[in-house]
Amino acid sequence: MSEPESSNHANLNRRALLLGAVFLVGGSAALLRFTRDPQKQSDAGAVFSPDEFALLEQVTEVMIPATDTPGALGAGVPAMLRQLLADWGSADTRSAMIGVLQAIEKRAWSKFGGGFLELAGERRVELMRGYDEQAIATRDLAYGRFKYLVLLAYYHSEVGATQELRYELVPGAWRSCLPLAEVGRASAV
Amino acid sequence: MDFDAIVVGSGISGGWVAKELCERGLKTLLLERGRHIDHKVDYLDFATPWDLPNRGMVPEDERAEHYAIQSTNHAFSSGTKQWWVRDSEHPYDTPVDRPFSWIRGYHLGGRSITWGRQTYRLSDYDFNANKLDGHGVDWPIRYADISPWYDRVERFAGISGANEGLEQLPDGQFMAPLGLNCLELAFKHKTEADHPARRVTVGRCAHLTEPTEEHIALGRGPCQLRNVCERGCGYGAYFSSLSATLPAAQKTGNLTIVTDAIVERLDYDAAKRRVSNVRVIHAKTGQGSSYQARVVFLCASTIASAQILLTSRSEHFPGGLANRSDAVGRYLMDHVVGIGATGTHPGFLDRYYYGRRPTGFYLPRYVNLTRQDADFVRGFGFQGYSGRSGWHRGAEEVGVGAELKQRLRGPGRWDMRLVGFGEMLPRADNRVTLDAGRKDKWGLLRINIDCTHGENERRVAERANRDAAQMLAAAGFENIMPLGNVSPPGQAVHEMGTARMGHDPASSVLNRYNQAHDVANLFITDGSCMTSSGSVNPSLTYMALSARAANHAADLLGSGDI
Repeated sequence: MSEPESSNHANLNRRALLLGAVFLVGGSAALLRFTRDPQKQSDAGAVFSPDEFALLEQVTEVMIPATDTPGALGAGVPAMLRQLLADWGSADTRSAMIGVLQAIEKRAWSKFGGGFLELAGERRVELMRGYDEQAIATRDLAYGRFKYLVLLAYYHSEVGATQELRYELVPGAWRSCLPLAEVGRASAV
Repeated sequence: MDFDAIVVGSGISGGWVAKELCERGLKTLLLERGRHIDHKVDYLDFATPWDLPNRGMVPEDERAEHYAIQSTNHAFSSGTKQWWVRDSEHPYDTPVDRPFSWIRGYHLGGRSITWGRQTYRLSDYDFNANKLDGHGVDWPIRYADISPWYDRVERFAGISGANEGLEQLPDGQFMAPLGLNCLELAFKHKTEADHPARRVTVGRCAHLTEPTEEHIALGRGPCQLRNVCERGCGYGAYFSSLSATLPAAQKTGNLTIVTDAIVERLDYDAAKRRVSNVRVIHAKTGQGSSYQARVVFLCASTIASAQILLTSRSEHFPGGLANRSDAVGRYLMDHVVGIGATGTHPGFLDRYYYGRRPTGFYLPRYVNLTRQDADFVRGFGFQGYSGRSGWHRGAEEVGVGAELKQRLRGPGRWDMRLVGFGEMLPRADNRVTLDAGRKDKWGLLRINIDCTHGENERRVAERANRDAAQMLAAAGFENIMPLGNVSPPGQAVHEMGTARMGHDPASSVLNRYNQAHDVANLFITDGSCMTSSGSVNPSLTYMALSARAANHAADLLGSGDI
């Protein structure tokens, strides 16, 4: 389950101080709170720190927002990603995915002078659009994997597959050539 | 005698042999080296995408450590993990610069659970090929010999497909075909108009579209268009040993199945010219035992059957059982894959389809048929796949937020893949041997596989790549790319040829009925019997040869000839 955004307010000032201060001197050792040994991870709870998980929640919701159907939070995407990285991902993958979050946070500071979670909604969208565009243009492998996992976690969730897209466990028939309008949405699988 | 017959291996070939022998009234023991599987019960086919472990992905560390080779197969996922051996527990060796992918699973039903279900007949272009161009020995059979057996196995297995009247891809006993989609139809019309010798037909596949009473009596039902076949099918809609041949064999009351039974060697009685004893190691306890029967069928798979023969050395057969010809283990073939092309199509954006068709289309061989018209011998065919891209494309396209969500709500562009399957020539140097110095955990000698493509295969690949790109371009495709590089042999999972059939005992292992030239009660009907590879998927041929050989053996047993 996702936590409401406001529950993380207690951490924000501390984070702002910590990250902001170090970013001012441009050090990559800035991301102290994000610096952990991912080799040690083994259970879902330990994949992300609470701060990282809060960031993950808001980043994924910006990527796949609630519209007329639930978004990433409503589909349980952050928890799914946490579980995937605990049970499926290698240590390298965990580091790379945490690295993407760090890079997004870093971009928030460099573009807007504050952490991602402190940005207003439209700033978050602007930030993620820019980040996504640049990462895709430069073929940033880690981001490509991150984005794929976010999409996988969403579109293969029950919400994503059955509310946003279309999924039949047992289609029961093959209709080889139809007007798109008759079928409606894309198949989730 | 414990049994009339022993069948080693429960995959497509072993299942067919067991069924035919049991139906002929023979008490049959089926030995399977892997574990028992309960049809339907043990399948994950009703898992939704959100129920599948890790969204269908096998943990990366586990994959790297235990499934480095098996995971290269397209059907490998968390929904199918139980169907593959752990490479870490079942190692084999290859020269460092000559990889061979041995893709397999050890469980009741073998690879009949994960097979691609594409079913095509060989033709006399294939059966005549070796004799005509001199590569390999002559097949001891022709199409007319196997044609009635193709009929028989197609009716029982249940094949959907369309008759096309092509000499190079003989028609068969088909149930209603699954239709081509909008783009495939357009591709078909354009390609056939440009190239009268080329044909595009829907994939012939072992899926019930119109089950008969015989199918239904075995608990099988029609295909539900789920396309989760590789997990096993709870409807029994596609042919496998578990859905079809083994239940039929069990109905006779003549079948005994023993799982976890690794065949170590076959003992030979030189006086009687017979296999006298099948020695077995229990996979879990390591305990040895042995079984006797009047006839023995090796259906352990191409490489495993060669291993058993090569292990079964005796004073009479110092190079391995039935190996007077030194052909055992040699002439290993697969199909040339990793060839072909992909492209996207800008049109048909208002068209779609419903259901998940478990097959693609087929474009059968068109080179070197009525005349030698290429700079290589033999040929290739294409399996084609096309559809509209799904949400996956979102990971590669720029965009996040409501716009991304809206865009992915609809299907993306149409794409098409033409996946070439090229014939591989039989060459003596492509072979399976045993490493006298190394043993596996059951004490069996480690397998060495040394197999490479030759110049002919390289030319086949080049031509298939060129033709695929040209056909896609002509049909209006864009972004045309080669599929990649030619895959290491083994990647087609069509390995065959290590105990080939032939006329001459001096150069082949098996006669025209898959009976060992030199061992009267030994038959081999898995892929190892193949004298050439053809360019079509071979499983249907294994079925037909297995049924034919089993009935021949039953005749010989009946007449007292073995």
